[in-house]
Amino acid sequence: MSSTRRHIMLAATAVTGAMVLSACGGGTGAGQAAGGSGDGEKATSITLMAAEYSKDNTKAFWDAFAKEYKSKYGYTLNVNVVSWDNIDQQSSTMIQNNQPPDILNLNAYASYAKDGLLYDADAVLPSEVKSDILPTFVQYGTYDGKFYGFPDLSSARALFYNKTLFDKAGISAPPTTWAELEADAKKVKDATGDAGYAMPLGPEEAQGEFSMWLFNNGGDWKSDGSWSINSDKNVETLTFLKKLADEELTQSNPARTNRADAFDLFKSGKAGMVVGFSPLAAALDADKTVDYGVAPFPSNDGSESKTFGVTDYLMAFKKSGNQDAVKAFYELYYDKDQINAFIEKEGFLPVTTSGLEYFQKDDALKVYLDTLPNARLTPTDDPTWDKVKLAVQQNLGAAMTEDPKSVLDKLQQSAEAES
Amino acid sequence: MTTTDDVQAPSARTTPGGPRARRRTAGVGRVSAPVALLWLAPAIALIVGVVFYPAVMLFRASRSEYSITGLYQGSAGWDNYSKVLAYPDLPVVLKNTVVWVVAVVAITIVLSLALAQLLVKDFPGRRFVRWAVIVPWAASLVITSQLFVLLYDSNYGLINHVLTGLHLIDEPISFLGDDRFTMASMIVVGVFVSLPFTIFVFIAGLAAIPTDVMEAAEVDGASPWQRWRQITFPLLRPAMLIATVLNTIYVFNSFPIIYTLNDRNPGFTHDTLITFMYKLAFKSQEKDVGMSAATGVLNVAIILLVVLVYLKVVNWREETR
Repeated sequence: MSSTRRHIMLAATAVTGAMVLSACGGGTGAGQAAGGSGDGEKATSITLMAAEYSKDNTKAFWDAFAKEYKSKYGYTLNVNVVSWDNIDQQSSTMIQNNQPPDILNLNAYASYAKDGLLYDADAVLPSEVKSDILPTFVQYGTYDGKFYGFPDLSSARALFYNKTLFDKAGISAPPTTWAELEADAKKVKDATGDAGYAMPLGPEEAQGEFSMWLFNNGGDWKSDGSWSINSDKNVETLTFLKKLADEELTQSNPARTNRADAFDLFKSGKAGMVVGFSPLAAALDADKTVDYGVAPFPSNDGSESKTFGVTDYLMAFKKSGNQDAVKAFYELYYDKDQINAFIEKEGFLPVTTSGLEYFQKDDALKVYLDTLPNARLTPTDDPTWDKVKLAVQQNLGAAMTEDPKSVLDKLQQSAEAES
Repeated sequence: MTTTDDVQAPSARTTPGGPRARRRTAGVGRVSAPVALLWLAPAIALIVGVVFYPAVMLFRASRSEYSITGLYQGSAGWDNYSKVLAYPDLPVVLKNTVVWVVAVVAITIVLSLALAQLLVKDFPGRRFVRWAVIVPWAASLVITSQLFVLLYDSNYGLINHVLTGLHLIDEPISFLGDDRFTMASMIVVGVFVSLPFTIFVFIAGLAAIPTDVMEAAEVDGASPWQRWRQITFPLLRPAMLIATVLNTIYVFNSFPIIYTLNDRNPGFTHDTLITFMYKLAFKSQEKDVGMSAATGVLNVAIILLVVLVYLKVVNWREETR
């Protein structure tokens, strides 16, 4: 019996511990809500829930930012840095308990705007900041005619290729069409036995990999305001991906490979090509084990390459009394010294016109910066996308073993059902 | 007053010479209800706080409608329950749960019986081996699972490296990506982390077997197998009962192993009810806290039912008397 009791005691201790921890987390929010609840009473402190881009830099940046914010405006900023694995869960819990953070850093915003939880740009974003943000990002940050999704940083994808493997396979230049990409992948596979092209269609970011391909075949997720997931172009694209996998030019099991796994494969020199972005380049430069090149991603017919861009958002929750503090937050964050320092440290790309100028100094970023103003994004301005994205992540990989058209048909149906 | 009587009843009953013992405990141990309540208050507060309150909140959440952001949208009645029960992947998830729980518990018990038998024998270094057995128990489940992800990896995993090195296989096996191997690979890890606790339950059970019974059987000429089958095994049944019930609950509720090892696989092909519940709230396209809470309530009901049926079947009142 003593073992039973010990078991129960252990469980009880663990649960109590968890309760205490969550109580601490909740306490901050409750304190603020109380502080800003009275009409006309101004909040003196606000909470930021930020996503962790890197262990070394994210927390350090926001802590320094909070100090500057305090000394410049007198408000206190409570910084809460959360890993990407947990941030959805934590923010959702806080909203359920009616204690959202004042500022939330996430990769989606439209559902929050739809639920009426957010301030729009007119309320909290200084007008000179709004005019500085690149028009593409304003466009994708606008829901129902109002700008809610303020971008914190961006990334753009490009084709990374392993020069050593390309030399062994006798390839002199990176591919510019899909046919060339297929032929090069085959040469790499035949010459070295390594994966020609690392294709991550696992649940982590299947929508990202597929976006890169479909934009370069003239397809899109939505066209003219309605879903076009199962368009002929997209079926052709997914069929091509399946063909690459069937010919065993990719790593084994692309449907079960996450982006991080594909990057690991490329970093260990076991993949000829992969779709990468600037943080991957930074990691490769630090390791110095792989001699790699970066090129625009090839299009199906050889026309000009389109890049897939990603941006994350800093959104502001409507809570009484916090408007001035939130406005001051954005004024400081979009200050050139702050935002560019953050983006540079994290190894991402700018979201402002002034940032584009600032980063011109870095030659390695040129391939991305040139394409950034015309980058194509996933339809983040549509709240339905927040659900479609999850459906794509969980189901797209099935096309590697099933019929690509029927997989896309199902996704199209669920998108239309949600709209 | 009746409550204190009830609490004392079992202990009084087990003491020989019941009436006398009861009078003694009544005189020394009996306290008035307010005083008893005072002493019990911390425990009651803990139970209310960590068991009762979350259970009520879970039930409330299961009857509420939430937006994808987590915003409360109003009451949902029993909609969440009917949506979960009509979910197309539910049969697969249920099947996985049964396979997972039955396989892990059964294999764990069989292996633990053998290993416990070994570990009660006196041999040089026994202390060291016993300590080593505890390690998988002491290590965090997430860390253990992550280690197995590395071991199983098809590109650089140690297991594939050894198997190809020995020429047992030509191509690396994708233990976690190939549907034929995924569940089996997860069960191996499940057994690995359940063994220590179960072994120690059986060691305690074996130590409690009086040696004179064994000696008598030996004198009567019983073979080792007869001794084990006729004496050890029956006397181990209380330990077996505890090991089975606790392992069933523990394995059923096991989240980190399946979540970590099954991380790269899309859909619900290898999920059990526990990871299904998590994915409904945070990963699936529904992303619905209400449906997830409804699954949570169903999970509690299922595990309670399973344990009650099991106890009924083995007639636990007889066993624990």
